[in-house]
Amino acid sequence: MPRLPLRARRRFWLVTRVILIILALVITLVPVYWMIATSLKTQVEVFASPPTIWPENPTVQNYVRVFARRHLGRYLFNSVIVVGTSVILSLTIGSLAAYSLARFGKDRLKQKMDFWVLAPRMIPPVALVVPMFLILHKLGLINKHLGLILVYTGFNLPFVAWMMRSFFQEIPVDLEEAAMVDGAGRLRSLRDIVLPLVAPGMVATAIFALIITYNEFFFALILTSTPAAATLPVGTAALIGKTQTLYGEMAAAGVVAAIPLVIFALLVQRHLVRGLTMGAVK
Amino acid sequence: MREKWLPWALIAPTALFALAMTVVPLGYSLLTSLREFPLGRTPTFVGLQNYRVLLHDGNFLGSLGTTLWFAVAATLIEFVLGLSLALLLKDEFSFQGIIRSSLIIPMVIAPVVVGIIWRLLYNADVGLFSFIVQALTGRNLSVLSNPTLALPALILVDVWEWTPFMFLILLAGIQSLPQEPFEAARVDGATPWNVFLHLTLPMLRPVIVVAVLIRGLDAFTVFDQVFVMTQGGPGTSTEVATLMIYKTAFRFSQVGYGAAMAMALLFLVMGFSLAVTRAFRASA
Repeated sequence: MPRLPLRARRRFWLVTRVILIILALVITLVPVYWMIATSLKTQVEVFASPPTIWPENPTVQNYVRVFARRHLGRYLFNSVIVVGTSVILSLTIGSLAAYSLARFGKDRLKQKMDFWVLAPRMIPPVALVVPMFLILHKLGLINKHLGLILVYTGFNLPFVAWMMRSFFQEIPVDLEEAAMVDGAGRLRSLRDIVLPLVAPGMVATAIFALIITYNEFFFALILTSTPAAATLPVGTAALIGKTQTLYGEMAAAGVVAAIPLVIFALLVQRHLVRGLTMGAVK
Repeated sequence: MREKWLPWALIAPTALFALAMTVVPLGYSLLTSLREFPLGRTPTFVGLQNYRVLLHDGNFLGSLGTTLWFAVAATLIEFVLGLSLALLLKDEFSFQGIIRSSLIIPMVIAPVVVGIIWRLLYNADVGLFSFIVQALTGRNLSVLSNPTLALPALILVDVWEWTPFMFLILLAGIQSLPQEPFEAARVDGATPWNVFLHLTLPMLRPVIVVAVLIRGLDAFTVFDQVFVMTQGGPGTSTEVATLMIYKTAFRFSQVGYGAAMAMALLFLVMGFSLAVTRAFRASA
């Protein structure tokens, strides 16, 4: 191939890049759009051939139906309770451990800790779910919010402690010691000096825990099955079996389950990226 | 001395909780795998009986094969695509915030919902994907009910959902690399391909190991999308290990045998982790 002049080559790469980026965006977004569009179509229009790209008679009847007939509101409520409680619990308990590790821990502890955070990931969830089902069954916690809250808190704790530890370490010890010299106890200096500084890190950690628990399906499926306790992913999956060819309703349920988190993730995108990547990069 | 016990008191709840959620159930699982345990009835100890049956269980070995194929293919494709995207988007350009945000949308959507999205797309009657395939090839394919195409179709779904994860981690890795070696290479007139091969890739190795490990481990235990989209069918063509164990323990109520299968999966996953760490260490 004859070598093109520099300027032509640059332009060629620029155009290729732009095309590739647009292609990636289309592949990423069109499937999501398709679900939203389907959720707004009437049952007749859903089956139209060729498919209509833009809903011709947009309707919210699918949404009304999934809330009125398929308990979707109840599932949403269950999710909020379970996710909210377990995120707050794991953040509180995990931060205490993280603080302790950051302030009193030795350096060689870090490597051990990396192992203890990564090692549980190697255990297939299915190897844990059978005994958990048996144990929770004995305790009468199947189909109860509390059962799932305990399980999720336990899963979140290692990585909450791991992430928070690095945030605590970024805070100079001097600041804290100065407050303690001035007569504040360790707990008071923790509350007044350290906590405000570490707040952004807590937000990043909370977001990460929230996304994981809100989307969790496997444990929720086995540990909850009735509308009284089942979370949104379980409710949505159950609905698929019942709606058969009512694809509009299936899509509407999917939108309800996904949209809050997508909007949330876009709002906190910078924290999210930090949370997701710090483990791998640091 | 308050300060002496304080560090341990702060760590104790997390440590106990974490143990209660990993080591305890794992031990219980191991014990269960040595039992004949019909759900709801009294278990009897049978020693290694379950494992002996397991070794000759064609369905289970087949399902391990399906899982291996799924996990390796998905992780590999996601790595290549994620790395390409990261290289494509690493420099400053206009609209980069909104483009990056849009690209990570799939990974924050619940896998169950991702299953719904692709069921709609693949559907032979109402799906956009099927419509496009039909327009191009003239054939109306119901991808998910085709024994040869169902598994690749599921791999495609996994790639769609998790390439953003690879992209994000690799992008952060690339951006945290020191700049000096790259400037030196530019001064020496190295081609972009050589820079990538001899600078970017080796320096990125630690990040690559973590990204491939995390994604691979998750792919080995895939369940949600398969449960929602095919339930393992048609036939057993997409019956991945976790799904088969779930069915064995909770639908056919053979809890002991299911636990033995779970242990076998654990060994497969550990083998994968070792292989990945070894491979990258060897090439270092």
